[in-house]
Amino acid sequence: MKHNNIVISGIGTVSPLGKSLEEVSAALASPPASTEVQSWEFHTFDSPVSCRKITDFDPVAILGKKGLRNKDDATKLLLSAAELGFKEYLESSSEESRAGLCVGTAFGSVQSIGDFLSDSIVNGVNSVNPQLFANTVINAPTGNANIRYLARNLSTTISTGFNSGIDALIYAYDHLQQGYLDQIVTGGLDEISYYSLLGMQRSGVLSPTGSVRPFAADSDGTITGEGCALFMLENEASALDRGAEIYASITGCANGFDPACSGKVLAEVITNACTMAGIAATDIDFVASGGSGSPAGDRHEAAGIAAIFGATTPVTAYKSFTGECFGASGALAVICALADIRQDRISGIPAERYETIAPIGMVFGTVKKESTNVLLTSASCDGNCSALILRKIN
Amino acid sequence: MNKKRIVISGLGMITPIGSGIESFWEAAVAGTNGVRPLQMFDASDFRTKTGGEVLDFNPDSWMSPQEQESMGRSSQFAVAAAQMALEDAKFDVSAHTPSRIGISMGTTMGEPQILEQGVKMKYASGNAGSIPAALPRQYPCGSIPANIARHFTITGPHIMIPTACAAGNYAIGYAYDMIQLGRIDFAIAGGSDPFSGIAFTGFNRLLATTPDVVRPFDKNRSGMAVSEGAGVLFIEELETAVKRGATIYAEILGYGLGCDAYKMTIPDPSGSGGIIALHRALRNSGKKITDIDYLCAHGTGTGENDKTETVIVKEVFGDHADKLCMSSLKSMFGHTMGAASAIEAAACALMLQRQTVLPTINYEEADPDCDIDCIPNTARPMQLTTVISNAYAFAGNTSSLVLGTLKE
Repeated sequence: MKHNNIVISGIGTVSPLGKSLEEVSAALASPPASTEVQSWEFHTFDSPVSCRKITDFDPVAILGKKGLRNKDDATKLLLSAAELGFKEYLESSSEESRAGLCVGTAFGSVQSIGDFLSDSIVNGVNSVNPQLFANTVINAPTGNANIRYLARNLSTTISTGFNSGIDALIYAYDHLQQGYLDQIVTGGLDEISYYSLLGMQRSGVLSPTGSVRPFAADSDGTITGEGCALFMLENEASALDRGAEIYASITGCANGFDPACSGKVLAEVITNACTMAGIAATDIDFVASGGSGSPAGDRHEAAGIAAIFGATTPVTAYKSFTGECFGASGALAVICALADIRQDRISGIPAERYETIAPIGMVFGTVKKESTNVLLTSASCDGNCSALILRKIN
Repeated sequence: MNKKRIVISGLGMITPIGSGIESFWEAAVAGTNGVRPLQMFDASDFRTKTGGEVLDFNPDSWMSPQEQESMGRSSQFAVAAAQMALEDAKFDVSAHTPSRIGISMGTTMGEPQILEQGVKMKYASGNAGSIPAALPRQYPCGSIPANIARHFTITGPHIMIPTACAAGNYAIGYAYDMIQLGRIDFAIAGGSDPFSGIAFTGFNRLLATTPDVVRPFDKNRSGMAVSEGAGVLFIEELETAVKRGATIYAEILGYGLGCDAYKMTIPDPSGSGGIIALHRALRNSGKKITDIDYLCAHGTGTGENDKTETVIVKEVFGDHADKLCMSSLKSMFGHTMGAASAIEAAACALMLQRQTVLPTINYEEADPDCDIDCIPNTARPMQLTTVISNAYAFAGNTSSLVLGTLKE
């Protein structure tokens, strides 16, 4: 595979851990507490549900009032992350050369989709607001961002469940490698919605104790979170030309599907990513996994990580800080990994040491570590497997 | 680095006018109307009561009852269309390395019937506890390629690109990229969408649906029709297709994407995104405007779309637009959403193989705003070397895919 050096040269985020790389970095050292949600316009849970909702999110403060009418929360999250991370770039770049957009999301604007449906059931099909129909396509948040920022070069949405965030970065990476564009803003997004929470609850994956203990042998489930993390991906030469700050390079990435969730395909995907990066698995300084506390997904991912790294390479799981943020998770893990690389540390699980479901090098608490190559992994209970390698820029 | 030559060597389609290659082709050449009074969906409360349903789809022909229970109608369509494409390509998955086969699919609504079923159950019983535990997992649109992968035990990259009604082209384009970049050797690529009550409600409320039939480019066109279906292509390098003795329908020469960045539901009247996509498709395929013999239009039959698409084609093709013929296959099977451009790509491959262009049916009166040769009402035998298929979508997504006959 041909290989131009693709770098991360911009960051924008809105997450339970903060609204900038610096805030995320500080929050990893001092994790926020869980929050609770219970009611939406059409639906209410019998009791509050533990989650990692963003409590201080004020889209009007970030975006202004103009253009927010009929925009739902998922779209506001994406627009806000773009505004916070790329306002200067967007104002200075020409429309012709402006970066494309590629956003990973597991559910899109599922609150809008479900509410549109609920409204049609409760009030009749001829009473629904036609202006809200546009929010029911899964790519609505991405499209709204293209419109707001007059970004005509690409509007892509990727949806591979919990892997959507990393897979969006892989799609953008490939698009750049093909030479179609010079710059793409890419990442992951998902909101906490009644419908996704209900789905998780009915599927039995929410922790009744409201805890997130990735890879714990006795884990009772996960809790959900929300957020958006976006990155500017471009050729290194292009980033240097425009004097952009370079956070890391993406040296390898791969994905696959394991119908048996055995870990074998994840191991193969990790190996493929390492081969692309021109490194051995032993060159990986730590693994930023997608472990969430959901036993089925964790078993899958632990098996793949254990097959490649045994118990020797340090492993963390940033979902212990953010909760399961669906399509945003992989992208939020990238920003957390960038924060740890900068701070020469690994933010391990913020809990007392516990027994893990497989012999992996789980890190608890913060440990000092200088890292050059960091591997991000995600393996879902459905079978999705993704891996992406970040290399520190010296 | 030289580009690999990538070809289409298997086709599968499920549409309201016919499923499978010969059934589809026979109906399409005859100009069959698949937009009819709805039978499976209760449209009694709606302004429009017609649409495109696949009435003869029987999942028993494609999968076990247990497997049917585990997935929604969109996935069932996708698995069935993929099976058709693999059989047509004479490709035995078990005889190849499963990690070298990729899956790239597109959709607009994903599995809307699952959400509709769950929410209706909750309202009917007044209790969310009535929703079966296994149901929510079937909803995320990423389950569509996952179900294909599971059904055929394929372990390579799999992706869902839900870029609304242009999604099929996006998915085919990314499958092409993955082979070009060496990630995979073979790909199952296409799009799938089942009939969606949410989409039907929304398009009705936007007054975008036709009360009877779809008349693209006609002065009296009255809107689009919500439909369902799936299209899947089997894609591989020319070298392996030749080695396997596969039937090669067409070569994928390149594609281009763009975006209007204008409005969510209305195209930019200047055609900005469509012009970007066509220029990129021509550049990436190394073709000149005069090389293009036929254009498979997005052609939804709405006032705005058809007028804008004419503007786009005239702007990009200039004088050649007068020689170019372009038809709307949606006149026959309605708008199958994310499946549309995948079905249309499969139809383009067949048109290239059979040297016949498919018609725009229901055409009666010319519209000066759409003064193009739309192959009115009757299929036309003609020499075809290179064709383009356009697909546009909500959010202003635009895409153009270039296919050609196989030349040495």
